[in-house]
Amino acid sequence: MIRTAALIAALSLTAAPALAQSAGTLTVTFETGADTGAVMFGLYDAATYDGGQPIRGARLDVAAGQRTATFDGLVAGEYAIRAFHDVNGDGQMNRNPFGMPTEPFAFSNNAVGNMGPASWDRARFVVEGATVQMISIR
Amino acid sequence: MKASRRHFLMSAAALSAVVATPETVWAAMAQDAAAPWALATADLEGDVAPRAMRLVRGRAPAGLSGTLFRNGPGKFRRPGGSATHWFDGDGLMRSFRIEDGQVTLAARFADTPKRRTETELEAVVTPGFGTVGDARARIGSNDDANAANTAVMVTGDKVWALWEGGSPLQMDAATLATERFVTLRDDLKGMPFQAHPRRAPDGTVWNVGTNADQAVVWHLNADGSLISAGLVPLPRASYLHDFTATERSLIFVLQPWVFAQRRMPFSTQFAWRPELGTQVLVVDKADLTRTRLFELPTFSFFHLGDGWEEADGTIRFDVAANRDASFAIEGARVLVAQTGTVPGEPSVLKLVTLHADGQAEMTSSGITAEFPKGDPRRPCSRRDLTVHVHGERGDRPLPNGLGIQNWATGVNRAFLFDDTQIMEEAVFVPKPGRSDESDAWLVAPSINLAEGVTELHVFDVAAVEDGPVATWRADVALPAGFHGAWKG
Repeated sequence: MIRTAALIAALSLTAAPALAQSAGTLTVTFETGADTGAVMFGLYDAATYDGGQPIRGARLDVAAGQRTATFDGLVAGEYAIRAFHDVNGDGQMNRNPFGMPTEPFAFSNNAVGNMGPASWDRARFVVEGATVQMISIR
Repeated sequence: MKASRRHFLMSAAALSAVVATPETVWAAMAQDAAAPWALATADLEGDVAPRAMRLVRGRAPAGLSGTLFRNGPGKFRRPGGSATHWFDGDGLMRSFRIEDGQVTLAARFADTPKRRTETELEAVVTPGFGTVGDARARIGSNDDANAANTAVMVTGDKVWALWEGGSPLQMDAATLATERFVTLRDDLKGMPFQAHPRRAPDGTVWNVGTNADQAVVWHLNADGSLISAGLVPLPRASYLHDFTATERSLIFVLQPWVFAQRRMPFSTQFAWRPELGTQVLVVDKADLTRTRLFELPTFSFFHLGDGWEEADGTIRFDVAANRDASFAIEGARVLVAQTGTVPGEPSVLKLVTLHADGQAEMTSSGITAEFPKGDPRRPCSRRDLTVHVHGERGDRPLPNGLGIQNWATGVNRAFLFDDTQIMEEAVFVPKPGRSDESDAWLVAPSINLAEGVTELHVFDVAAVEDGPVATWRADVALPAGFHGAWKG
């Protein structure tokens, strides 16, 4: 469901320096159902949400107590988040034998999809100034 | 001022009472058009708090004590959109507790993500077995569409509301409060756990779940903990609602209603291909890679009876067999529409025999039947008796009685109410300290259409044809349920 490979790939990229004049700050906090592993997530815009590379990415070490990440220097505008909780810390989004994810995943706005990832329309939100997203991932 | 204002309000109230509104006219027309059996798929608007049922016939059998849990759809319609298929209503867990000759009825809806979403939206939006749904559906996983509406399994102090395509939903047996979806092992989260688990002679439980041409096989302890799970490839991607088992084998009956295209609602994925015949895959419980395949003439089915294996390797089990899948596609839609004709013919009770030499055959009882059940004291053992609901006809799509087929003598004994009763599935309850197959009661509810209420009946297996030995009446009608389980 979630494009795990793209998410993981994003985590290995160094965040590009912020060039925008109109800067927004996004603080993302996850409420997790388990205290192990890591939450991995990507931040997307309309052009990249459906299959493109995330604009930013982060790995929160849940086992070490991390729940929050902040992205500075974002161009004001619409974004969306795709996240999954790598509960067992194996670096992958685990699936059951029928191919369904067995680790929690979530989207901005706590949006739920319709037999697939949440659509851009459900997950998008505006970053302008200091913006906060609280995401339940359990 | 005060008087005149009150006068005005009273006049307005009086006026609205005598002037027909469009809503009242539509409701009256719908009532006129509805079939006499429409209570079977009526909507229940909320939970039913525990209440006593009133003994209206016979007397409570001495020694009968326990709880009948039953599950089935309890709500179909919402203002912004409705479930259009019998299999897609919200799961309603009912308990009929029999103690000291008194019966207490309670019912609670399974508190599923589907029901929460649809309550919030005031619309049924989730696609189901036969319900299209709409774009507002919120389905991140199969359990977001889980109606928890098909059957119930008792595990200790809990009951599991079972569906076909998702996890068991655990509810408290005493309060019927919803607790959580059950994950039997972390790496198997969300794997389907179907509605008809089978108990083995050693007290363990076997169940299956399917996805196209793959099945997961579950083996559980009686307390619901997992012993093992495995995968079995199936020779065809057939619609499978029920499996059966012998002491050594799992039995998958693969009807020629087969996967054709991935789409929703679920039932539209399958095509009826009668030229393919019906196959039976027998899988060794001890080694899931060891299989045998048998061929039978074409039939469709939902439900099987318990299987057994005889000394020479012959395997036998019952099936409520139908000519085609028209009930699944159209009949169950008519039941929720509450008007029109259910197409096709009622299912007939048959006995499948799988010979050790690879040949297979079917023997028909000639008796209209559904929900075949055997003596729980004889899991996977040879038995003569099969209990079933009975009396379904072309002009009356739901059963009005119970029958017992004796496969040894070929005799079928039955009791039919008249058409003012809709008979539901019976559970087989052994009499304490007795061992003969006929030393048992059948416990089953019905909907009394004349009184507009649910009743609970106890029959004696030895004299089912004499009718109930006891009947209790509720002060409320619950929609027809699907499947039950007894907790002694």
